[in-house]
Amino acid sequence: MAHMETEVLIIGGGVLGAAAARELSRYKVDVILVEKEADFGWGSTKANMCIVCQGGDTLEFRPEYHRSKLVWDSMPLMEPLCQELDVPFKRVGEFTLIRNNEELGKFQKLKSRAEKLGMNSHKFLDQETLRQMEPNITREAIGALFDPNIAIVDPVRLTIALIENAGQNGVKVMRETEVLGISQKVNQFEVETNQGWIQCRFIVNAAGTSVDKIARLVNSDDFVLYPIRGYVGILDKNLGGLIEHEIHMRPDVPGQMNILTPSVHGNLFFGTTMQPAKRGDYSTTRRIAEIGMQNVRKIVPDISVKDIIHSFAGFLMFRNWEVGWHECVVQSSRKVPRFISLCIGYPGVSAAPATAREVVELLRREGLTLEGNPRFSPYTKAAPIFSELSVEQQKEWIAKDSRYGHVVCRCEAVTEGEIIEAIRHGATTLDGIKFRTRAGMGRCQGGFCTPRAVKILSRDLGVKEEKITKKGRESRLLLHRSKELIEAQI
Amino acid sequence: MNFSEIDVAIIGSGPAGMAAAIKAKEEGAEHVLILERQEQLGGLLHQCVHNGFGLFYFGQDLTGPEYAHRFAEKVRDLGIEVLLETMVTQISPDRKLTAVNSREGPLHLLPKSIVLAMGCRERSRGQLNVPGTRPAGIFTAGTAQRFVNVEGLIPGKRVVILGSGDIGMIMARRLTLEGAEVRAVVEILPYVGGLTRNEVQCLHDFHTPLLLEHTVTEIHGEQRVEAVSIAKVDKDKRPINGTEQMIACDTLLLSVGLIPENELSRMAGVELDPLTGGPIVDQFRETNVSGIFAGGNVVHVHDLVDDVSWEAEIAGASAAQFARKEKLEKRRRIILKPGRNIRCVVPQAVSAQNDVILYARVKDMEENVQLKVGDIFAQSLRVVKPGEMLKVNLSHSQLSQLKEDIVEQIIECERRRYDG
Repeated sequence: MAHMETEVLIIGGGVLGAAAARELSRYKVDVILVEKEADFGWGSTKANMCIVCQGGDTLEFRPEYHRSKLVWDSMPLMEPLCQELDVPFKRVGEFTLIRNNEELGKFQKLKSRAEKLGMNSHKFLDQETLRQMEPNITREAIGALFDPNIAIVDPVRLTIALIENAGQNGVKVMRETEVLGISQKVNQFEVETNQGWIQCRFIVNAAGTSVDKIARLVNSDDFVLYPIRGYVGILDKNLGGLIEHEIHMRPDVPGQMNILTPSVHGNLFFGTTMQPAKRGDYSTTRRIAEIGMQNVRKIVPDISVKDIIHSFAGFLMFRNWEVGWHECVVQSSRKVPRFISLCIGYPGVSAAPATAREVVELLRREGLTLEGNPRFSPYTKAAPIFSELSVEQQKEWIAKDSRYGHVVCRCEAVTEGEIIEAIRHGATTLDGIKFRTRAGMGRCQGGFCTPRAVKILSRDLGVKEEKITKKGRESRLLLHRSKELIEAQI
Repeated sequence: MNFSEIDVAIIGSGPAGMAAAIKAKEEGAEHVLILERQEQLGGLLHQCVHNGFGLFYFGQDLTGPEYAHRFAEKVRDLGIEVLLETMVTQISPDRKLTAVNSREGPLHLLPKSIVLAMGCRERSRGQLNVPGTRPAGIFTAGTAQRFVNVEGLIPGKRVVILGSGDIGMIMARRLTLEGAEVRAVVEILPYVGGLTRNEVQCLHDFHTPLLLEHTVTEIHGEQRVEAVSIAKVDKDKRPINGTEQMIACDTLLLSVGLIPENELSRMAGVELDPLTGGPIVDQFRETNVSGIFAGGNVVHVHDLVDDVSWEAEIAGASAAQFARKEKLEKRRRIILKPGRNIRCVVPQAVSAQNDVILYARVKDMEENVQLKVGDIFAQSLRVVKPGEMLKVNLSHSQLSQLKEDIVEQIIECERRRYDG
């Protein structure tokens, strides 16, 4: 078993851990980031609606809470960050639909409260303007509150780009590395993982849905978290033009939510129903799916079950469920020095840029010496997306590598060249390829490209096809070779 | 290859594409080009190693690859041009076609006419919205078929199949023969979705449990499928409380319907029939977009490959005629509409000057019915099932009985009355 040493250990390669790693890479600090899954951003980071710069929801935030500040402070940081990292970012704006005078009154109050806090971007739109901007939404809406700030990103791509940039700037990254135990020594931690021991002085606990479990390993129990599960459905790209903005409707039932939004890749996402769940239970239920469909049809009545191509459970950890969704965990442990825990709950992706800055500040206060990293470059170039290139660029890429002319995923028009590039950048699983290239994310959901992607993975990784997994660990896709079962019976 | 002078471009080289190409060539189109995204001609036929192909077309019982081979040889002998591993990415309403491959890079073609022969794809778990976890081990039956028959890889050892479409039943047999245990085929309807011959030969002959009026209510397992919950359903296909049971398995295959693949058709402005999922065509298999024709499973999902090829031949012949700038003679347009217990009908319109075959599918299984087309055709049938397509041969003389002012005919199943 390996034994490593570092100054800072970041536990968790979701968006918060990745952002913290990248922020720390601005300084001359030894950092190791460990992720228990086979790729990055596979926890709460991937399980959400991909909306950032939330102002509409922050209308209901309480300014005295830490989380509101992190979200607000992140709003101007997100777009430049995405530009530096070459990650798609689109400022779509949000309409919160108003269906009656009661709702109108409520939003007027919230808007004037937000204005007192210095948020002046919200505007009321009348029915006619709303119809012109969004002709397909429900006739029941008499107007909307418009927030031009709301944007959409691809949170997993953002996370991977943050990790890659951190790596270029000197952070060491380890995947399939699960923290099993932590012992405290004088001035340092001994961290036991399935890949060996890591000795470190500081720990940034960004373990997402396991953040409280990791904290308990050092007997730091300053906070209690509750797992919350939602439901997100993805609609066929054929419906992509149905709406242009993120549309929010106040739920008719408390505890639900009702959002329909475009994604940066041209699909529509809808989300509903946040409810307490078992930790790590990413399953969906028939009831939630039915509520989701009923709710989204209140926004756009033309949507039907047939338009869904995929659905998943949104998942996150909330603090203080009893008192509302107002607080987060971004703090040094009260009992254990040099141990910082992070958990935003919702909206973690939106709050990541400012949270990362605060992590650095907390580490400094705990005694970490910060000296500028002269090698730091904020820029990362994304791999080419063939279907988005101009014809001239496509010709250039095919001339460079003919495999860019071989389309492997028909629905999203992903080429072999892009898949090879994803593997070169660290994809080792079918889901790794899916989240990095979108192969398998289209309307046939991998029906066509799965056998081809398995072949390419097997060839480029130099492992047998039966060893290829969906998402690491025990998730092998193909359990046997032909004739193996028959021979076993004879 | 001269891409600037293509008469007929065919998209896809499955049983429809090759048949259309051959017919177009035989009907005098000089430059016929097939664009195929896979490594060889034949489309999905290569993974269909079972028999039952060509019983009607060739009068012989062939396997899928054999059926493909016969057409592929003819394609070669006739000098039809072929681009393999070539993905068509766009078609515009004025028939500009964009494709890409590793050799020529992005290609821009302007054929005189186009035949859409893209076939169909399988409905996925996402579209079914099956609740539960998202582990490895869930495949559509066709994807599993490719793994087993082409790649030599077996998805798992203990298998549950949701849906009883033909591919699902054929995979039940295939996996049983490979030594896997097919623990159940679960069908939501009171009868199987595919052909009776497959029910008998693939399920009953192997004593594979078939659970009708059941569905999968939840998938279990975090990393790999560990089990599925199934339940009996009521008349509205909703699970009945208290009937749930768990079946341990490592693999779930889905055989829950096929969807004509019409993304390119949409781009070209081709109008689709929501009932078939395919283009609205007339008896010449011309779509609403002049010069764009369609045949085979891209128009509507057939039961038999023989019908796919036959239908595509009509499209190929029409496309050749269009490319020769000969006007397709359409004396009148009679719209065919589905009536009682008919889900869909193809073609959706006929002109009255030739004999024509109508393909229709019923909504529900029914016994003792009379299949009618207006007042010009009637046939008694003992039983009709959604899984078995109805074929109606209408002769020129039957059609010409219709008065000039008639623009519509209803095709329907009437309940048969008994006299005594």
